[in-house]
Amino acid sequence: MVANLRAGNLDGYLGPDPFNQRAVYENEGFIFMLSKEIWPGHPCCAFAARKDFAEGAPNAFGALFRAIVDATEFAHDKKNRKEISAAIAPRNYLNQPVEVVEAVLTGQFDNGLGQKMNVPDRVDFDPFPYQSMAVWILTQMKRWGYIKGDVDYQKVAAQVFLADQCRDVMKLLGYKAPERNSVPHTFLLGKQKSFDPSKPAEYLGGFPIKRA
Amino acid sequence: MTPAREERLRTVVYSLVLLVSFLILWQGIAGAGGKGGKAAGIPGPLAVAETAWVMLSDPFYDRGPNDKGFGLQLGYSLMRMMGGYLCASVVAILVGVALGSSPALFKAANPFIQIMKPISPLAWMPLFLYTLKNAGQAAVLVIFVSSLWPTMANTAFGVGSIKKDYLNLSRLLQLSWPRRFLQVILPAAAPAIVAGLRISIGSAWVAIVAAEMLIGGTGVGYFVWNEWNNLALNSVIFAIFAIGMVGVLLDFGLGRVAKLVAYSD
Amino acid sequence: MAFLEINHVTKFFPDPDGAGQVCVFRDVAFGVERGEFLTMVGHSGCGKSTILNIIAGLEAASQGGVVLEGREIRGPGMDRMVVFQNFSLMPWMTVTQNVRLAVRSAYPAWSGAQVDDCVRRYVVKQRVGLARAFATEPKVLLLDEPFAQIDALTRGVIQEELVRMWTASRNTVFMVTHDVDEAILLSDRIALMTNGPDARLAEIVEVKLPRPRSRADVIDEPEYARLRSHIIHFLVERSRHLQEQAMAEGRLGSRPFVPTR
Repeated sequence: MVANLRAGNLDGYLGPDPFNQRAVYENEGFIFMLSKEIWPGHPCCAFAARKDFAEGAPNAFGALFRAIVDATEFAHDKKNRKEISAAIAPRNYLNQPVEVVEAVLTGQFDNGLGQKMNVPDRVDFDPFPYQSMAVWILTQMKRWGYIKGDVDYQKVAAQVFLADQCRDVMKLLGYKAPERNSVPHTFLLGKQKSFDPSKPAEYLGGFPIKRA
Repeated sequence: MTPAREERLRTVVYSLVLLVSFLILWQGIAGAGGKGGKAAGIPGPLAVAETAWVMLSDPFYDRGPNDKGFGLQLGYSLMRMMGGYLCASVVAILVGVALGSSPALFKAANPFIQIMKPISPLAWMPLFLYTLKNAGQAAVLVIFVSSLWPTMANTAFGVGSIKKDYLNLSRLLQLSWPRRFLQVILPAAAPAIVAGLRISIGSAWVAIVAAEMLIGGTGVGYFVWNEWNNLALNSVIFAIFAIGMVGVLLDFGLGRVAKLVAYSD
Repeated sequence: MAFLEINHVTKFFPDPDGAGQVCVFRDVAFGVERGEFLTMVGHSGCGKSTILNIIAGLEAASQGGVVLEGREIRGPGMDRMVVFQNFSLMPWMTVTQNVRLAVRSAYPAWSGAQVDDCVRRYVVKQRVGLARAFATEPKVLLLDEPFAQIDALTRGVIQEELVRMWTASRNTVFMVTHDVDEAILLSDRIALMTNGPDARLAEIVEVKLPRPRSRADVIDEPEYARLRSHIIHFLVERSRHLQEQAMAEGRLGSRPFVPTR
């Protein structure tokens, strides 16, 4: 992305870090907005697995699941952010300058417009897959025509976002897990500022702009 | 000093002067440059040399899909290229001999060859990816296609130009087909065939680097593209030099073969 | 019937310019006795090389045929071997390998040692181009202007070499040449062709000079001078005259035949 910015193929992008901060580092761009200014606590990267893998190799899947939950909680703790930056920056992982990764993970960064920012929760990590997030995603997929016809939001969400299993793993590893699988979500931009996961159809109907 | 010696020395000196001027010019126009980061422009020769040192001092490590030694990447590229190239050479020589031996056949086949020749090998890539569903195999097949035509055309020409006396002699001596092929036709056409092989290996090497940029995974082409995406221009420039050196070596090797099979009529 | 009988051969080639055919030579008939050295002389375009190729089996006659020892010739065979202009040694092989290939082809049953022996015998002193042909010990040896591209000084040496080898092996020899002196020096009889197209065999003269013939001595013989004069007159005047006669009699087209080798 940064290369295409340099080559003039792109004027801008909405993308995952650290590629945003890298653009600032290379003097190619500036940070216009953080995505948490659109939806605080939005879901981002996810660990997904095929059903036949999860059921066919339950031990391997379970080990992966536990490792990911453990690592996520480790990353959530701000004390560990610097150590993580040093570990994932090298060539065989992110292959980015360590300063860039640190800036993102600590939230102390140059925004490319000459200002030094301090946004400690620029990035956060949470392993729990709220099924309300799945419902929201489904409403958007329906909104733009990626799925046609009727969809049983709650059923699909429960099938794909394994909230109960996650809670079990979190408890097993000694982490505090949320009580509920679904919560309402709030947005800072857009027409509808709140999302009630139990009323997906109304939410979807509230958008003036959608695919026919 | 003999005049010949003097001449050679002069050539070497001129080359060195050209090289040094080029390096100075390059260092002059280069920016701060570097492994990416506050890069003001193209990295200079010193920065590239530093990267080269790092790359070459440990060329064969493997630390996962995102991080393999440069030597390994070169190895992948060469392997793929050789696979496609060798198969293509065998096919091209056999078909070329057939075409060269029969003017009628050659005239019939020639229009198709002329159409196929200018097609960029990479244009075949989508077709191969779609049918083979395997990026590695598709790349090898692209190399195969790009290495066919120069060898085929040169072989046909070489075989077609064999002095009639040699062919008559093989008829008089009643040579069996394999004998005739191995002892008369192949050696007679060998200089032309090797010339074709030399051109083909050049285009094969060019094609594999380009193909790897498209399909990714491993190889120098992928390396160049990956480093570019990370704005690591040092590595890109180093890789360019390395690609050039390999090309020189390949051509040099075939040049030796050309000397071996040469004869004066 | 002679040992090698050229039996009323005629050769047509497709006309390079238009439709129809051009006749190279017509109704050529002569015989060569076993062990005889016969040379054919004529201008370019009379088809003498074509006749040689027909005897070798590399080309076929349009009419008529060639009979060797009572058997008709139907293609190349190891009983007839050609010495090409420039000898056409294959340059990607060594001299020895060239001769080896020929010997192997002539005697496929021989062991490696036998082949080496034969090769050594022929290659040691003799000219290699000739060596390769002689090594196959053919019944008929065909020489297609073999000395044309050799400089005049070397030519004499090689000619003597040829005579020596032939005297030892006594193959039947059919040679084609432009060089009148060479023809007289080497041959028992000389066949004279008129000009092409539609060339004919005009006459065959006997060379009544005793063997062995050395270049130095034979030139002084009066018979040599007579023969030489006769042949050169033929080549300069009579061959053309005969052709004109044929044209007048309506047996020819008006276009000269351009030979393509």
